[in-house]
Amino acid sequence: MKKSLSDNKYKIIAAVNIIFILVLWYLLSEVFQVFRNGMLPGPNKILETFITKLSSKAPDGNTLFTHIKSSLIVVITGYAIGVVIGIPTGIFMAWYKPVDYLVRPVFDFLRCIPGLAWIPVITVWLGIDLKAKAAIIFVNVFVGTVVNVYSGIKQTDEVKIWVAQIFGASHFEILKRVALPSALPYIFTGLKVSLGMAWLGIIAAELLAAQSGLGYMIQVARNFGRADLVIVGMLTIGLIGALLTHLLEKIEHKFVKGRN
Amino acid sequence: MALRIKNEGLRKLFWGFLSIFLVFVLWFFASRLESMQNLLPNPLDVLKFIGVSVFSKVGKTTLFGHLYWSMTRVMTGYVLASIVGIVLGFFCGWSKLGASLIKPIYSVLRSIPSIAWIPLAILWFGIGEESKYFIIFISTMLIIMTNVIDGVKDVDDSYLDVARMLGTKENQLFFHVVLPCAVPQIFNGLQVALGAAWATVIAAEMVRSSKGVGWLILMGQTSMNMTQVFAGIIVIGLIGLFLALVMRWLESKLCAWNVRGK
Repeated sequence: MKKSLSDNKYKIIAAVNIIFILVLWYLLSEVFQVFRNGMLPGPNKILETFITKLSSKAPDGNTLFTHIKSSLIVVITGYAIGVVIGIPTGIFMAWYKPVDYLVRPVFDFLRCIPGLAWIPVITVWLGIDLKAKAAIIFVNVFVGTVVNVYSGIKQTDEVKIWVAQIFGASHFEILKRVALPSALPYIFTGLKVSLGMAWLGIIAAELLAAQSGLGYMIQVARNFGRADLVIVGMLTIGLIGALLTHLLEKIEHKFVKGRN
Repeated sequence: MALRIKNEGLRKLFWGFLSIFLVFVLWFFASRLESMQNLLPNPLDVLKFIGVSVFSKVGKTTLFGHLYWSMTRVMTGYVLASIVGIVLGFFCGWSKLGASLIKPIYSVLRSIPSIAWIPLAILWFGIGEESKYFIIFISTMLIIMTNVIDGVKDVDDSYLDVARMLGTKENQLFFHVVLPCAVPQIFNGLQVALGAAWATVIAAEMVRSSKGVGWLILMGQTSMNMTQVFAGIIVIGLIGLFLALVMRWLESKLCAWNVRGK
């Protein structure tokens, strides 16, 4: 592709475009008020709501930071448990033939069920406390992690396995020295996908049953007809999700070498 | 290990049946435990429930009725999203002007999980069908766009250079090089998006609706009817499996030259 001075031109177009969108948005929603009863508040209103919400507890009883903290604790608990159990399960399934044969058919069916569909079961079994919400995250994370770890191990180059066998490595040694390192990029992909699923799961869990958290916040804001607060919540959710993914990518760069 | 069955397909079938049968047996005995009463329904009851609800109404309509509602919501949003997503994706991936116009909004929207749109959709469109169409549309469109952009970006530069050297015009380049190269990745996007749409409609129906399979399982929870919840989950899984198989089949027909690994 051409790399010329014209790249700068497109940066300027992008910047002008963002400003144009913000101004147009402001004009339509605040000056001409085309959206009925504040359904799409202007960017200035949203910024204002965001700043107020940092210290204000209305209407849902907590400040923005408390909600963020509450959601994050649940996500990290459920995610950690899901990953810690999911990675070994995936390895075990992929590396030991009898386990593969026996578990895979059931697993192929289980992965067709969206994690969110388990919410009613978990709510009846565990209630709506931290434990229950962490369990919802766990279900969302576990399946995705296993699938990616499994396919990562399965895609190990056979030639490398043969070489290791010729040199007399045991089945377990091959797993440790050959299959696992070559599966690492897949494992990290799995970790990233699952993180997204975890973050989605917590919002769903909090929409349905919770007393705090970002999902709860936007649900209450919806009941009060506060579109500005809903949008603030959505942007916060998006931002934190992006930050978490970024963090994981940093870790990936440390561990996975020779990739791009 | 002990059983050696030569035919690959037969062997898969055998283990598939065995493993599902074992889960069934385990589930059956677990459901008979004292401590599991009202928590885990008998699998036979669940199957019976599915069979009965094909003919008799649960809530407003039969099981097929609920499936019909859920599928209509998914398909309406999904078809619209595919068209818009592919067009916008190409515009954003191929043209620099498109990228600078669309990328900023796209990156903000893409980071928001589909479920987080539910409250806003209800505020904007009410609790009727439009809000569900919108949720499915926005979430699947972004997935499809992402894949189209990646597909265009992954086109081998040397193909482009060769085509240019041979004097291909820019629009020919797009239709004869970029478009065919990006098709497998686009198909991947369509597949992922369909799965995501199915998950999203369940969530949307659980949050607010009066019919659909998401409603079915949430109602089961509210009325403590675990048989209904499990029946709903199994049906949701079966449809998810069905959708995945259909997409796989379509891919093998339409992109026969490039079948991705399992």
